[in-house]
Amino acid sequence: MKASIEWLKEYTDINVSNKELAEILTMTGSKVEEIQEKGTDIKNVVVGKILEINKHPDADKLVVTKVNVGNEILQIVTGADNIKVGDIVPIAKNGSELPGGIQIKTGKLRGVESCGMMCSVGELGLSILDYPEQIEHGIMILPKEYELKLGKDIVEILQLKEEIIEFEITPNRPDCLSVEGLGREVAVSLGENYKNPRKNIDEKKTNLKTDIEGLKVDILAPDLCYRYVARAVKNVKIESSPEWLKRRLKACGMRAINNIVDITNYVMLEMGQPMHAFDINSIAGKHIKVRRATDGEKITTLDEQERTLNRENLVIADNEKAVAIAGVMGGLNSEIERNTNTVVFESAVFKGSSVRLTAKEIGLRTEASARYEKGLSPENAMRAINRAVELVTLLNAGEEIEGAIDVYPSKQEKKEIEFIPERINNLLGISLSKKEMEDILTKLDIEVKNGIAIPPYYRMDIEGEADLAEEILRIYGYDKLESTLISAETTLGGKNKEQKLEDALRKLLVNKGFSEIYTYGMLNEKELIKSNIESELLQQAVVLKKPLSEDYTMMRVSTIPSIMQTVAFNYAKKNQDVALFEIGRIYRDEKGSIEKNELPIEESILSISNYGENVDFYTIKGIVENILEVAHVKRYELSSKVERTSYHPGRVAKINVGNDTVAILGEISPIVTNNYNIGTRVYFAEIYVEKLAKYGKADSKYTEIAKFPAEERDIAIVVDELVEVGNIEKIISKKCKKILERVKLFDVYRSEKLGEGKKSVAYSLIFRSNEKTLSDEEISKTMETIVSDLKKELGAELRK
Amino acid sequence: MKEEIANIEKNALEEIKNAKDANSLNEARVKYLGKKGELTTILRGMGTIAQEERPKIGEMVNRVRDNLEEKIVEAEKNIKNKELLEKLTKEKIDVTMPSKKQELGSIHPITKVIDEVKEIFIGLGYKIAEGPEIEFAEYNFDKLNTPAGHPARDIQDTMYITDDILLRSQTSTMQARVMENTKPPIKIICPGTVYRSDSVDATHSPVFHQIEGLVVDRHITMSDLKGTLKVFAQTYLGEDTKIRFRPHHFPFTEPSAEMDVSCFVCKGKGCNVCKGEGWIEILGCGMVHPNVLENCNINSKEYTGFAFGFGVERIAMAKHGIDDMRLLFENDVRFLKQF
Repeated sequence: MKASIEWLKEYTDINVSNKELAEILTMTGSKVEEIQEKGTDIKNVVVGKILEINKHPDADKLVVTKVNVGNEILQIVTGADNIKVGDIVPIAKNGSELPGGIQIKTGKLRGVESCGMMCSVGELGLSILDYPEQIEHGIMILPKEYELKLGKDIVEILQLKEEIIEFEITPNRPDCLSVEGLGREVAVSLGENYKNPRKNIDEKKTNLKTDIEGLKVDILAPDLCYRYVARAVKNVKIESSPEWLKRRLKACGMRAINNIVDITNYVMLEMGQPMHAFDINSIAGKHIKVRRATDGEKITTLDEQERTLNRENLVIADNEKAVAIAGVMGGLNSEIERNTNTVVFESAVFKGSSVRLTAKEIGLRTEASARYEKGLSPENAMRAINRAVELVTLLNAGEEIEGAIDVYPSKQEKKEIEFIPERINNLLGISLSKKEMEDILTKLDIEVKNGIAIPPYYRMDIEGEADLAEEILRIYGYDKLESTLISAETTLGGKNKEQKLEDALRKLLVNKGFSEIYTYGMLNEKELIKSNIESELLQQAVVLKKPLSEDYTMMRVSTIPSIMQTVAFNYAKKNQDVALFEIGRIYRDEKGSIEKNELPIEESILSISNYGENVDFYTIKGIVENILEVAHVKRYELSSKVERTSYHPGRVAKINVGNDTVAILGEISPIVTNNYNIGTRVYFAEIYVEKLAKYGKADSKYTEIAKFPAEERDIAIVVDELVEVGNIEKIISKKCKKILERVKLFDVYRSEKLGEGKKSVAYSLIFRSNEKTLSDEEISKTMETIVSDLKKELGAELRK
Repeated sequence: MKEEIANIEKNALEEIKNAKDANSLNEARVKYLGKKGELTTILRGMGTIAQEERPKIGEMVNRVRDNLEEKIVEAEKNIKNKELLEKLTKEKIDVTMPSKKQELGSIHPITKVIDEVKEIFIGLGYKIAEGPEIEFAEYNFDKLNTPAGHPARDIQDTMYITDDILLRSQTSTMQARVMENTKPPIKIICPGTVYRSDSVDATHSPVFHQIEGLVVDRHITMSDLKGTLKVFAQTYLGEDTKIRFRPHHFPFTEPSAEMDVSCFVCKGKGCNVCKGEGWIEILGCGMVHPNVLENCNINSKEYTGFAFGFGVERIAMAKHGIDDMRLLFENDVRFLKQF
């Protein structure tokens, strides 16, 4: 909300600088966004009269003029062609300044001295829109009457000096979307008196009538319209408004149209009550009906756009048609025109949320709807309409018709709030006396009696004790609040197991060279398909009801697509050796929860991705093993039986604890990397963090260090190529877990001699017992068992 | 005889001392201590020595032999070390060649902010609470004093899944969740991902992060809120940080405030980051609205509380001088490695 200092001064004295005012108001809750001081950048530009215009001796396009600037006659050379002798024009004299830091000095133009410059509208920093009679690329021609003001400062003459403050008004304070409301805030913030310039209006008794000039009003949707007041003026003369009014409208960012429309806007800016004006003759049957629109009902609004409405929208209608969209914009069919004689003013209060939704639906947010949507006080409506009629009289724009129609189905109740100073002190941690608090409340127009506080009608936001506390504190001063520390029961802070695990995983991965990334949990179906995500998983995706863009239509069921996008981004930037990780969520509607109005599953996934020189499956496998160590997950099994189409079918594994998969790792399918234009192999792992936390258990007890000597034996066997070494190891250790300390693969060898589809695998086995020194015999026997088991289960032969 | 032995010792020590390498040392050993060595010969000839002299001579020979042996070992060691040193000199390497260090990774600036904030509040006795990102509108709005029809609930600002389920637009959801399930005293910090219907640009992202704080107990005051946030700001941004509370409005707190901190870039002098104001707005806070307490089954006559919340990205950007939010989510390793 913008307001000029000049206008605010109508409500209270302001004896501080603009900067101080801004600071004080910011600290009482009306945050100042900007202070504009217009006209301060124009210096030494005066009113002049052109006395002569002569040809320039050396230039066809220039003329040499003589200009009377009051106390002297100046010679000025100009290229303008819209001037004639006798014109009154703005003259920037030698040593003057114009907006944008431009300085004008005496100089020669093609050899002829020019002692200044004639100014255009633009050169004075003004908009042609505010001076429609002027031409854009030409000298500004001032009205003839300024001939009496030759030599006077143009800033003064055109009243260009304007100090405007722009406030950020929080949505709970629609009363401050008016100069009157801001005036009250300024007065109370500065500790000055509030001079109520609308006292006459507040004390006015209005005769209520059921009809005016045959006009009737009915509210057919009282749930959406709380009050509707109508008054009329006759013998209206539509013309342009006086300068002072236009100027104030402009200061608040509105453009003048004609006196009647300007009055409605002026009252809205002044008192915060949006108004509307109709031509009484455009209301069929002279019957105003406030009703819901019918589905598909059409109206062309003042901006000449046709709007289609539905039954949730409220309209102002007559017997035949809608004449306005309530609280948003009037209809073209009831517009005030040159020949309008009798004008009906509307001052109504509609339900905020209804106006807001209507404005959103039809995509038309106006000054009026922006006020309505915050919830206005119905009590203001009568004051506002009386002010509008008063202005009509003041402006000599028409004649007042006595009386008002007031349909007021739901009267605004006065709120009574228990006022217990002690509780307010306790809530805020201050110690104000009852008297001090009452003084503040009284200044804010809040009536206090018998321990009850009654807010004024325009403060509908004050509903309870906490609101009173805020009012007291903001006037007393937020900056006077002390800084104390909670004096209460000591609480034990800290992280839970999973949070600690996440920290440990981050630390590990950073030490291993991985950089943490953050990607979006939202994506579109295309990305999932690009990453070859299984269709069963795809069907579990949680879909947004109304996506903002095509890029983000659903929640991810896998982290692969978003991380592959990042990998692709880095690959395209030619970043080499990229190692990334993310702890982020996936979202799966596994059981049709959404439909049952239950929340879907959210799982925390540690995703790891890696490409570069010397990176292969076993690199990522090593990292995953490190992760399992850090998480203290000890009993797990790795298997290649994984059906995840995002991965290379021959290079993927899962890690299970029992039947529960805690991690998937592998090479991303080249089909997928091709889709992302990545020309290298990418390795990936997905680790389920919650499961890791669940299965991880740090040993609290130490294991005795072996006392007895170890025996080492080697074994080399020949097996089919497809036999996994993991399986061989399982069989080796199956029957001798107690004494087999370690199995270490040290060679895998293929040759023609072994035959096609065969490989030789060699292990070194370390035996040790906790109870005794193992005898040669015992170990040999064990070795025999191992060999025979391998033969039996895998068809393995000892290599000779 | 004694003289002879003494002479042998003297000569032998001389030769040991002068031995330049293992060979010459060995020669000396053989010459004096070998089977036919000078000292051995004397021992062998003990029979020719008078009976009463024998013990003394024997003792003397043994002493000399021990001494020579010891000196030989010592000399051997010296020679070896000298040879080794010569060899080592030839092994000189270029220490300025590149190392074999393993590259370190990096922690994302978003995590850095969250971690630092967590640590400060854990130190103050707060627990960390986390919750769902896909949330009931009830927790995101209704329970937080933002009833149906409130502008904040608009589909333009909030991403809905159904009419009742949405992507949480604020971590304040955790206020309601925790209050509903926990008896005061409550002291929590809730970091998390939130979603708003914003298009991606230099200062907006539809996905971003917030940290929420909540304290509920008997006798909690707004001064406590200010004191707590002052400790936080001074720990996080530096001891000389000043804070400023300004009145503001949030549906779920009353009284509400916005907190500014003295600009941590220019120290309040005025710069780009603070737009010349010397203050940076960093968070919103206030006393938990009595309606919110009651909505979560906490007696507002008995308990009071405060809450605060702020955006992680904005702080990370201000702290590291990052001028485009997209950098945080593009994850270019050249960017990431700077942290």
